Amino acid sequence: MTDAARWLLPSMLDHRAITDAVCAPLTDQKAGKRWWIAVLVALGVTGIGAIAVGVSLVYGPGMWGNNSAVVWGFPIANYVWWIGIGNAGTLISALLLLTRQTWRNAINRFAEAMTILAVSIAGLFPILHLGRPMYAYWLGPYPSTMGVWPQWRSALVWDFWAILSYLLFSLIFFYLGLIPDLATLRDRPGDRRWRRIWGTFALGWQGTPGQWRSHQRLQRTMAVIATPLVCSVHSIVGLDFAASLMPGWTESIFPPYFVVGAYFSGFAMVVLLALVIRSTLHLEGVIRPNHLDAMAKMLLAAGSIMLLSYGSEWVSSLWTGEAADLRFLQFSFTGPYSGMTYGMILGNCLMPQLFWSPALRRSVPVLVLVALGVLVGMYFERILILCNTLSIGYEPTMWTLYVPTIVDGLILFGTGGLFVLLFLLLSRVIPLVPMYEIRELAETAR
Amino acid sequence: MTALALGSFAHEAAFREAAAQAEDAGRRIVGLWSPMPIELGDIGEETAQPIAWIAIAAGLLAAVGFYGFIWWTATQAYPFDSGGRPLHSWPVFLIAPIEFGALAAGIAGMIAFIVRARLTRLHDGAFDLVEIERASSDRFVLALACDEGEDGAAVIRLLAEAGAVHSRVVTR
Repeated sequence: MTDAARWLLPSMLDHRAITDAVCAPLTDQKAGKRWWIAVLVALGVTGIGAIAVGVSLVYGPGMWGNNSAVVWGFPIANYVWWIGIGNAGTLISALLLLTRQTWRNAINRFAEAMTILAVSIAGLFPILHLGRPMYAYWLGPYPSTMGVWPQWRSALVWDFWAILSYLLFSLIFFYLGLIPDLATLRDRPGDRRWRRIWGTFALGWQGTPGQWRSHQRLQRTMAVIATPLVCSVHSIVGLDFAASLMPGWTESIFPPYFVVGAYFSGFAMVVLLALVIRSTLHLEGVIRPNHLDAMAKMLLAAGSIMLLSYGSEWVSSLWTGEAADLRFLQFSFTGPYSGMTYGMILGNCLMPQLFWSPALRRSVPVLVLVALGVLVGMYFERILILCNTLSIGYEPTMWTLYVPTIVDGLILFGTGGLFVLLFLLLSRVIPLVPMYEIRELAETAR
Repeated sequence: MTALALGSFAHEAAFREAAAQAEDAGRRIVGLWSPMPIELGDIGEETAQPIAWIAIAAGLLAAVGFYGFIWWTATQAYPFDSGGRPLHSWPVFLIAPIEFGALAAGIAGMIAFIVRARLTRLHDGAFDLVEIERASSDRFVLALACDEGEDGAAVIRLLAEAGAVHSRVVTR
């Protein structure tokens, strides 16, 4: 069996079968009852989140658990968590493309879609956290009548450029990959209105050698640019913390540790999406057990690196002998948030170790359990980075605990609903698996 | 009136073989369409090399330009003493230009790609050929020019021998 043949069911070696399998949910099948129920539930959850955001806008940040010591709280934890998930899609797509991993073909499209949705959601939180979101445009450089320009030394301005550039770049990268597949949809029999829309966005793509050559050249060039871009984006998020002088934050390991953490949580989300997509869109022939196995190995590797990073952070604190660092460490393991510390270690480091077993790497229930464990563990990590440090900083008179409010919780809940809602809508509009790349794989496998 | 012979192939290997045979037979290849990226040596169109260079050059230019803009705003237009840090704090001034440069490279690359691949032509003569519809899905299509006064039988035979699953002659 060739390497390529491992990633496709034999019935998928035919180009027609590939096109039919991927396009059928868009062109031949109506949205089923399950899809509508999922959309309505997601819409309801999004609505609840929107109400919580509305309450925050009307009554201000006093509706959140943030206090004078823990000034960042849920909004920034949510931002870091969502942008982490968002970082993975383009990184997976670009890195696996550059390293010629043929198995990327089945997962890169929805991973990139996940990136765009997650980064868009992440971008909402710093704006909300401003307290006066209507002035968010002050972050951008524009010739104001006051002659005031942005403070370029501020981490908030770094985030603005990092999120904006990354979001737009990911959107271009995603759209570039989509063009040939939109042409496929344009040329298939089906609803005329939709064919017109797909045809317009396909930009008159014909699939001539010159077009393919230009397409492939730009895709590789963008992958080369995307890889350091993705690393820089989450490094900048890491710098938001590391550039300060707080115990637990002044760590030079923060930027790379944040990048791995982002990749880790994003991959966990990709695993969940892959399982849902292969079962609901009947793409078992394209997303094979071998893909699940490969993704589980990635989670195992990233989980092990996370363990090493945590260990390095704890040993560094012990090594310095700084009273504030030692207090911070003791607080992490024995303080009121210690349950989350152990939950974080369980979800991020211990649960992925199950994937040393080849059988468990292919077990759907285990994959779901571990991926959820990672997502929850990574959320705990984001909360702990903020709350542990800010609750017990250098000034004892400022020591105070952070307790999120119901509004905090509902905003997070609502963004989860928004992500699901947008993904469900996207699944009815674009092919979630890149057909032309699967065809390439099929030709190699044949 | 010119005549074209169109051959549709189910697989890449047969398509390549047909293109090579047509070249050997001195036939003029008018068009090639495929549902996946393929390299056919010199057959086809010009190189796509400039796209990468355009993207990189635009990215570098945008990054340098943006750095200059930041320097101007922070040291000339709005000098602001933030905790005694130097007005020209170059390490942190690098962050936004790097991000912006990457974005500019992506945008420039996309524009270069659209121009180079001759896109945005939503109505093109090739779309009148029914074969092209399947070239985005499951067929590799080769169009060969027929000689003046030729009925196309020889070209059709060449295509059939190379493994075409369907072939026909069209006049335009």
